[in-house]
Amino acid sequence: MTKKVRNFSYMLLIVMVLLSACAGGQATTVAPVEESTEAPVEESTEAPAVQEPVTIEWWTVSSEEYTEQVQRDLAAAFESTHPNIKVNVTVLPEGGFSEKMTTALGAGEGVPDVAFFWDNNWFPEALDLRPFIERDNFDTSMYIPGFWKTRALWNDTVVGLPLGVGAQFVMYNKDVFDEMGVTYPSEDWTTEEYLTKVAQLNDPDQKRWGSDRPRRPFRALWFNYGPDVRLYSDDSMIVDGYLNSPGSIAAYIWAWDLVDTGATPTPADIEVLGTEGTGPIDLFMAGRLAMATLNQGHMLNALNAGVNFGIVPEPGVAGNERFVNAWSLTSSIWKGTEHPDEAWTFLSWWVGPEGQRYLMENGNLFPSINSVLNEYEDADEEYAQAFFKVLELTQVSEWRNAHPCNSTVLRAVGDVWDKIMFGEIERDQIQAELDAIVPAAQESLDECRERLGG
Amino acid sequence: MRPETTMTPSIKAPLLSRRTRRWLEPGLTYLFMTALAFIFMIPLMWMLSTALKGRWEILAWPPQWIPTTPHWENFTEAFSRYPLGRFMLNSAFLVAANTVGQLLAVPLIAYGFARLRFPGKNSLFVIVLGTMMIPGHVKLIPLYTIYHRLGMIDTYWPLILPAFFGNPFFIFLMVQYMKTIPRDLDEAARIDGAGTWTILYKVILPLCKPPMTIIIVYTFLWTWNEFLHPLIYLNTFDSFPIQLGLSMFKGRYSVEWNLFMAATLISILPILILYFLVQRQLIGGIASVGLKG
Repeated sequence: MTKKVRNFSYMLLIVMVLLSACAGGQATTVAPVEESTEAPVEESTEAPAVQEPVTIEWWTVSSEEYTEQVQRDLAAAFESTHPNIKVNVTVLPEGGFSEKMTTALGAGEGVPDVAFFWDNNWFPEALDLRPFIERDNFDTSMYIPGFWKTRALWNDTVVGLPLGVGAQFVMYNKDVFDEMGVTYPSEDWTTEEYLTKVAQLNDPDQKRWGSDRPRRPFRALWFNYGPDVRLYSDDSMIVDGYLNSPGSIAAYIWAWDLVDTGATPTPADIEVLGTEGTGPIDLFMAGRLAMATLNQGHMLNALNAGVNFGIVPEPGVAGNERFVNAWSLTSSIWKGTEHPDEAWTFLSWWVGPEGQRYLMENGNLFPSINSVLNEYEDADEEYAQAFFKVLELTQVSEWRNAHPCNSTVLRAVGDVWDKIMFGEIERDQIQAELDAIVPAAQESLDECRERLGG
Repeated sequence: MRPETTMTPSIKAPLLSRRTRRWLEPGLTYLFMTALAFIFMIPLMWMLSTALKGRWEILAWPPQWIPTTPHWENFTEAFSRYPLGRFMLNSAFLVAANTVGQLLAVPLIAYGFARLRFPGKNSLFVIVLGTMMIPGHVKLIPLYTIYHRLGMIDTYWPLILPAFFGNPFFIFLMVQYMKTIPRDLDEAARIDGAGTWTILYKVILPLCKPPMTIIIVYTFLWTWNEFLHPLIYLNTFDSFPIQLGLSMFKGRYSVEWNLFMAATLISILPILILYFLVQRQLIGGIASVGLKG
């Protein structure tokens, strides 16, 4: 045997040893991936005709609203009433779900049968649920209309069912208000009142700010300034007169005035104190923000920590309609699923009254179904009532979802926003700055409209 | 005649005695180094401080370095919330498998480039190095497709297999190091009857301890801290490595910083222990392969 042959044999031997060590994949040493520990379906020796259960893949996330364990229990509860369907649960970290879904959808294979389709860009990959809804007479009117409209309907199809509800509102610390002798805000308070209270509540000696700042423009507070305060016209044709409308300029001036109070944390403060975007809630809970624009998850944090707080909608302008930034999670079936019927059975149970009630009672979900939401154990409490009222406001998403180019045009106005936040322009320069960006914003809109349509 | 001492100022007595200087110079150096070490330790100390605080005390003013009531139970709470021990074992398995893979593949490949002559060697080496220029995210979808078709999704294969083909950065490092070893050693061994394999394993590799140390340490660090690839390829919760486990503490609306820091503190212990164990070889290795900064 020549040396070369012998050496090749050694190499081959090493490779074979490695391969055999790793053989068996999931079941053996390489991947200590456990077989499901949940109630295995017993094989009856006496009844060979028993149908094998169909296994569907469900990807979800662990969050404050539904922990990993609660969702495993939910799947087990579903399986106990649907013995012909087995749900293989994959619970992912919140921070990685989008990357994993985008990769799988991009590959077009290895996508779960049922999952959150919370990114609008994924909607084309979702199965149209209308045939199932019609076949089963599934009552879609049980969902709160605003969420059904914004999170289930897309291009005349039904891309999913809305799970849970969330919304932004202003939370205020009653103890701080009492200490500073400031009256609590009312449901219909104005942006001017907001500025006054922020200045009154600021206490540099205690390193306490009056409130946080809006994170970006053209959200609820902007919409509250009037129907012409939009990024562009409803037909997605014109920017001029909308982005720089008198209402829009007034909203930007309000933001400038807020920064000018010196009673809010700077973007640098927030960046340093909240690297995960948690600055406002962490500061509010630490008693260093008298008011903050937070959401229902934060509300439960405050409730559990015993903070004496109140809730009001974001401030508006007297006489104008009020808006809210609200959301629900679109839960969908992948259009490439091999088990559409079983996936629908699970989806309609999970996001239907039974599933949402389960997650409300065992987790912290606020259901998107009014009849179930009314069963919330603290439904009569002041905080819950205030939150429910916020949910009744018109959603910003109704406009945003109907205008796919809004993100593109919003990027074009980013510079003006930054200049205001960093105190780089004077109050009387705002109109000229907004007028100046209109051509670039119009160009972005035209380019986007060609790509995505109106 | 008496010499005039005033004419020779150069031999004036020094301000500090030699003995004082002998103590002062290293003393100042140590003081400076201690101050620097203290500054570098601040994040770690803040992490420990946060791990011992109540959930909402983290941003309280004035900041407290030593909590009035240390919450030692944060550590047990973190471990009871998720199977972090299991996650760390999974990471340890991945580290071991990847290290074995790199140590088997890299010297083999590097030896070929450093010592053997074959057509297209230089072009092939450039291609190997060129793979470093491709952003990892570009490869995610094609790799996901490949592994899915091979039935390897939700197994550790996609996280181990690439190591057995060698990391281009390590290959480059090893090639450069091997080129510094005199060829006389190879020739002497060959005269004594050694073949290519014997030269590699008995002559070259024993001299390659510095780059091998670098490979081990960097593979350990990269694999232990890897988040994206396990996230993409693994589905089963109990097979998650530690970084996926840690990210479970980040919720949709808030982060449980105290538990997160407690878990993170425990998770970095293996890295700290490894560093203390191999710091001499690591620093020597870094210096000898010219890897700094």
